[in-house]
Amino acid sequence: MEAAVNEPGMPVEIGLIDRELGRLWESGDDTKTRASLLNLVIYTEEPEALDSNTEMIATIASQHAFRAILILSDPHAATAGARAWISAHCHLADKGGHQICSEQITFQLDGESASSLPNIVFSHLDSDLPLCFWSQAEFREPLDEQLWTWVDRLIFDSATWKNPVEQFALVQKILSITDGGMVLCDLNWTRLHRWRLALANVFDHSAALSCLPKITRVRIACDRGERVKALLLLGWFSLQLGWSLRQLLSENCFLAQNGKQIAFEILEADGAGIASVELAGEEFCFKLERPDTAGFFHASLHAPGIPDCAMTIGAGPDRPGDILLAELSRGGRHPLFAGALDAIRPLLPDMVTRQ
Amino acid sequence: MSNSVIQTNPLREGLGGRAMPEPCTLVIFGATGDLTHRKLVPALYNLAADGALPPTMSVVGFARRDKSDEIFRTELEEAARKYSRQTINDELWKSFAASICYHRSEFHDLAGYESLAVRLAEMDAARGTRGNRLFYLAASPDQFEVILGNLRKSGLNKAGDGGWARVIVEKPFGTDLPSARHLNDLVEGAFPEADTYRIDHYLGKETAQNIMVLRFANALFEAMWNARYIDHVQITASEPLGVEGRAGYYDKSGALRDMVQNHLLQLLCLTAMEPPTGLDADAIRDEKVKVLRSLRPIEGAEVSKHVIRGQYGAGAINGKRVAAYRDEANVDPESMTETFVALQINVDNWRWAGVPFFVRVGKRLPKGGTEIAVHFKSVPPVLFKATGEAVDDNVLVIRIQPDEGVSLRMSAKMPGSSLRIEPVKMDFHYGTSFGKATPEAYERLLLDAMSGDATLFARRDEVEEAWKFVDSIRAAWQANPEDLAFYASGSWGPAEAEELTKRHGTTWRRL
Repeated sequence: MEAAVNEPGMPVEIGLIDRELGRLWESGDDTKTRASLLNLVIYTEEPEALDSNTEMIATIASQHAFRAILILSDPHAATAGARAWISAHCHLADKGGHQICSEQITFQLDGESASSLPNIVFSHLDSDLPLCFWSQAEFREPLDEQLWTWVDRLIFDSATWKNPVEQFALVQKILSITDGGMVLCDLNWTRLHRWRLALANVFDHSAALSCLPKITRVRIACDRGERVKALLLLGWFSLQLGWSLRQLLSENCFLAQNGKQIAFEILEADGAGIASVELAGEEFCFKLERPDTAGFFHASLHAPGIPDCAMTIGAGPDRPGDILLAELSRGGRHPLFAGALDAIRPLLPDMVTRQ
Repeated sequence: MSNSVIQTNPLREGLGGRAMPEPCTLVIFGATGDLTHRKLVPALYNLAADGALPPTMSVVGFARRDKSDEIFRTELEEAARKYSRQTINDELWKSFAASICYHRSEFHDLAGYESLAVRLAEMDAARGTRGNRLFYLAASPDQFEVILGNLRKSGLNKAGDGGWARVIVEKPFGTDLPSARHLNDLVEGAFPEADTYRIDHYLGKETAQNIMVLRFANALFEAMWNARYIDHVQITASEPLGVEGRAGYYDKSGALRDMVQNHLLQLLCLTAMEPPTGLDADAIRDEKVKVLRSLRPIEGAEVSKHVIRGQYGAGAINGKRVAAYRDEANVDPESMTETFVALQINVDNWRWAGVPFFVRVGKRLPKGGTEIAVHFKSVPPVLFKATGEAVDDNVLVIRIQPDEGVSLRMSAKMPGSSLRIEPVKMDFHYGTSFGKATPEAYERLLLDAMSGDATLFARRDEVEEAWKFVDSIRAAWQANPEDLAFYASGSWGPAEAEELTKRHGTTWRRL
C-alpha cells in the first residue's frame, strides 16, 4: 500500500494532530473562518477512493460545513503502519473575500494498525457535534460495539455490496447494538428520494389519487446492478399502499387490502440506475421515466376524470457528492427505509444475484 | 388500502416536506411589471425545478400591454435567467414555459375578466386544474379596487365545485387605517379572509422564520426572554441606497409607512409574542395581534419625545458623493417625507413591562442590514468592580439580512496573569453552516398560498392594528410638520436619534 496514496494534505504525527490543526488556523489570516456542523467519517479500503473522497468533500464542504475524517485502511497489509495528514477546504463566502473552511484529517492505517480505528475516530472528533460514519467498505464480524454505539448516523450504500443479504443482516446487528438509537442511511435509498417525491407529487392530484387502490401491475426497469434499488422502491410501494407479499402459483405478487393482486416485474434496462416506473390498472396507466443522465423526469398519466397529461419534473443532480449532501442536509430518521426493506427482504436472496 | 375514496396521498406520508398543492391557475395582475420579472417568475421556476409545483399548474399574465404568449414567455425567460437563484435548465424551462400564457386587458375593462373566465375554464378542462385559482395583485395599489371589483363582477372570485379561489395582495395594505379598512373591505367583498393572503416578504425570509425556532426550541433563550433579564431590544433596518426608482411612491409614503407599519412591526411581533398554542396560521397570528394591541400608543406631544424622523441630505456613500433626498428625481424639492425613523416602542404586557423596543429604519445610512438585537441586563456590579474592568452586557443578534444568522456577545477573560475582561462573539451564519442555496422568500410564500397555509401572511386585524399605532404618530407629524431633522447621507441618521437610546442609558448598536 505504500505508494498508493497521494499526499492528501500536510503530513502530521498522529499524536500532534490537534496541535497542528490549531496552528493551521493560527497561521491563517482573518479572512478564514472554520465551520463545522458535524463529524463526517468516511472509511474505505480502496486506495483509489481517497482522491475521489477528498474531491467530493471539497465540493460539498461549501454547502455543509463539517470536520471530515477520511480513513483508508488495509487490515490485510503485512506490515503495520499509521500515517496522518491534515488539510482544509475553503470557499469564498462573500464578495469581500471572506472564506469558510472545513477541516479534513486523513489517516492511512495498515495491518495491525487498522484495529485502532475506534481510537482514531474517538480521539479526533469535533466535540458535541453528531458523528456520521460512512462505511464504504463492507461490514464484517466481529462488530466493534464501542465504535458503533458512538455513531449517530451510519451511512452505507447497498448499491456497492457484493452480498446485500448478508450486509443488510449485519446492518441490523449494528442497529441492535445501539438499541435502535442510530440512524441508518442507505445512499441507495437516498437516491430514490427524488423518484419517491416525483411519484408522490403526481398522486397528490385528487383524480390521480383515486387510481392508487386500482393498481394491478408495477413494472420497474433498471440497470442490472441496481436491483436492490428497484426492490427498495417496490418495498416502499408495498409499505405505503398496504400491500403484503404473497406467493401464488410459485409466482411472487403483492396482495392489496381490497384483495386485488398486484403483479410486479423488475426489467433490465440500459443506463445507470432506475430507468422507469410504470403503475397500471384496468383504466389507468402511469409512467415515470428518467432519460439517462437527465436532470428531470418525464411523467405521463392516463386516468379517467382528468385529461391525459405529460409533465416534466426536476430530478436534481445525482453525483455521489450530491447524494451525500442531500442525506446530510435532510437529516432526520428514515422510518420508511426500514419498513420498505422489511417488505422486500424475502425477495432479496432470489432477486439480487451478483456476478 | 380499500377501494373506497382515499383522502390523503399515502405516497406522500413520511417523505418530509409538504404536500404538493392542488393543481391551480395563478393569474398575475401586473404581469409585465418589475415584481413579476424579478421575483415571481424566478420563484415559480425554482419551485418547478425543485419539483415543488403541481405539474399541471398554469400561469396567466394579465396586463394592459399588447403582446403574444410567445413574446411574454421570452421576456419572462430573460428575466428568469437573470434573477433566478438556480441556473435555468433549458428542458425544464421549456416544460414550465408551456404552462404560461398572456391575457391582454385593461384592468377596468370587465369584458377582459369575462374573457379571462372563459379562458380559465378552458384551461381547467385541458389541464385538470379543477377551478382552483390564485389571483396575485402585483399591480399598482391604486388598481386594486378596480381589479377586485371586476373579479367579483365576473364571478372569478368564486371557486368552482370542490375548488378554491384565493387572492394575494402585495403591500402597501393601505396608506392609513381608514384606507386599509377600505381596502380590506374591498378584498373581503370579493374573497373571504381565509382566502386572502397579504404578503410581507420579510416573513418569508429564513431568519424571520427562525425567530420562533430560536425562541421556542431553545430553553436557554426562552427562559430569559422577559423583562427580568432583557434590558431592551433594538430592531434596525438600514440601507445605503436612496429612493432609486421609487421616488414617486416613496415621497408619498415615507419610511414609517413603507417599513415600520409592516416589516418592522412584524419582526417586533415575532420577537415579543407569547408561545402560540400551535403552529397553525391563526394560532401564530393571534399571538402577534396581542402584541400589536399591547403597544403603548404614541400620541400628541409624546411623539416628538419617542419618535425621531429625519431626511437625508447630501453626503457620501462608499466614497461617492450622493445627492440630498430633495434633489432626487421625482421628489418634491420641499418634500417633508421622512427617509429615517427611530422610535421607542413600549409593549405594555406582563412579559415586557419596562423593556423598550428601539426601532430604526433609514435610507442612505453607512451600511445595509436588518437585525434584531436583544440586549440583556448587566450582571450585578459586584464581583469585578474592584478590578476596574467593565463588563459588557450580553447581546443576542438575529441578523435578518444580509448574512443571515445569529450571534451572541459575551464576556471572556483575556489570557494573561492579570484579569482583563473582553467581549467575544459566538457567531452562527446560515450561509456558512447550511450552504448558499436558501430559497427566496417568494418561493416559500407562493407555495404557502397555493397550499392554503396563511401562517406567513398578515391577517386583517394585524394590518389594522399596525396602522392604528402608526397613524397616531403621523397625525402628530401633520400637526407639527417642522419636526423633521436632517442628516448627512452616509451618517447613522440625525443626532436626535441618539437621544432616544441615551435616555435609557444605552446607545444604538453599530452594525
